[in-house]
Amino acid sequence: MTDTVQAGRRKFFDLARPSRQHLLGYILIAPAVLMVAAIIVWPLILAIDLSFQQVKIPRLGGASRPFSVSNYVWLFSSQEFWLACWVTLKLVIVVTAGSVGVGLSTALLVNNRFEGRTVARLGMALPWAVPEIIAVVIFAWMFDTSFGLFGWLAIKLGFADQMIPWVSSSTAAFWAVAITMVWKGFPFVSIMCLAGLQSIPSDYYAAAKVDGASSFQRFRWITMPLLMPVLGVTLVLTLLWVFRDFSIIKVLTGGGPLRSTQTLSIMTYDQAFQYHNFGRAAAVGVLTLVICIIASLLMLGRRSKSIY
Amino acid sequence: MRRTLAQSLALYATVIFTLVMILFPVYWLLVTALSTTDELYRLPPTFWPDNPQWDVFARVWAAKPILLWLWNSMLAAVGSVALSMLVSVSAGYALSRYSMRGGATMGLFVLTAKMLPATLLVIPLFSIFSSFGLIGSLWTLVLAHSTMIIPFATWMLKGYFDTIPKELEQAAMVDGCSPIGAMVRVVLPIATPGLAATALYAFVLSWADYAYARTFLVNSPDNWTANLGITTMQGEYVTYWNDIAAASVFIALPIIAIYLFLERYLVGGLTAGAEK
Repeated sequence: MTDTVQAGRRKFFDLARPSRQHLLGYILIAPAVLMVAAIIVWPLILAIDLSFQQVKIPRLGGASRPFSVSNYVWLFSSQEFWLACWVTLKLVIVVTAGSVGVGLSTALLVNNRFEGRTVARLGMALPWAVPEIIAVVIFAWMFDTSFGLFGWLAIKLGFADQMIPWVSSSTAAFWAVAITMVWKGFPFVSIMCLAGLQSIPSDYYAAAKVDGASSFQRFRWITMPLLMPVLGVTLVLTLLWVFRDFSIIKVLTGGGPLRSTQTLSIMTYDQAFQYHNFGRAAAVGVLTLVICIIASLLMLGRRSKSIY
Repeated sequence: MRRTLAQSLALYATVIFTLVMILFPVYWLLVTALSTTDELYRLPPTFWPDNPQWDVFARVWAAKPILLWLWNSMLAAVGSVALSMLVSVSAGYALSRYSMRGGATMGLFVLTAKMLPATLLVIPLFSIFSSFGLIGSLWTLVLAHSTMIIPFATWMLKGYFDTIPKELEQAAMVDGCSPIGAMVRVVLPIATPGLAATALYAFVLSWADYAYARTFLVNSPDNWTANLGITTMQGEYVTYWNDIAAASVFIALPIIAIYLFLERYLVGGLTAGAEK
């Protein structure tokens, strides 16, 4: 009698039994779900809740303010928000286009067979390994208003007749940020494209050659279509990176001058930690997230699975 | 494909020119560190210092608590990678092997988590950490960096486990191994390259953080990470670029070294799942 009960009990915990397999799955995934709930979902809910309260500096467990949409009303009627949207859009387009352009061409370049290709590949993608803050340090010095290399080069090459005020001119500051971000962002595109290029079977090219396709035709009709899925995902990931980037802009220009480099991300942060308007900041942040989601779903469409 | 000599030359010229353009900023960082202040504040700029100041590294190392900053960055990175891998490995394995209700929802969630701006998450995290009295402690970074790492690591690891045939565990279980035993003794050893790639990539993510460190640790200099420390060297009136450049070399070096020696793993991590 006791034996059978114990056998039954042992059976109950016997995870090898097919009917218990799902249970084991849930047990294995539980820690991650709990962690994510505690450090992502809960804070996210708090943030959304915060965006609907008129609150300066929130205290957890403090009395919740009444529900109000005043943060969003303030946002939509403030010039600052629309300017930040415009700056973000400009930066996303310029940096994504620049990164994909440089990344794809460098990938095509080092996909060629030549002596020392491994070293060239390592070198091409090296900026990826330079921490963002260090990249900013280098570029901040190269964009220095009085003794920066870029200002001197611009004079030498005849683009300017005096040193360019990179920090105090809106246009110059925007381009300084964009150039820094492209330098930091293109290696990722390059690495991804190279992986994509290598997965294209060389038979395709051989066959096309037999049929007399020129190298441009081979690029246009073999490389591009087969690279498209990888390129699409990479494009969206780069776009999201620009959208959310904080450190490059914050340290290089601080969002200035006159908010000309203030993206939605920078605006979110400054509203919270500079002006102590946590409610408004949360509202900007929530809207940024919504825009990110809509933009990437639109771009990926049915292929959104591949971004996982 | 055979190339003519002219084609080969053109290819090499293009490769070298592109490499010089791309790597120039890194070279410039070194030159800046090795130049004297006089050489820096002079036009035209000095492309190689007359008298390289190699002692700048020793001077900055002594003047600034760089070792402490690096140590703090290391603690935050190791802590968050360990915590994240602990939960992500088993979750990734479960997602790969068991069909569960809500599996697709998980995928959608990972996608959303990837889009979550740190500048949004930092707001509620700040109030949560301050009510637990954690502001100023490195634990804030361990938890905050885990918000970046767990979603991507789980999905990346699921991808790796998917490439390992199920038959291996089935064979182990037929031989009397428990499901957990099959996972720990059979699948994990095979997945080691995948685990290494994920952990390395997560380490780089954590090392690169600035937003969280700046928000949670700015008033506790003893816990400053490398990235936070270096930004405080930018003076309000005078900035000693050679000192900053030398400190930057110290801070960039660990990651660049990892990249150069373990590039295969790192790149494997980046491109996992890219070729679907």
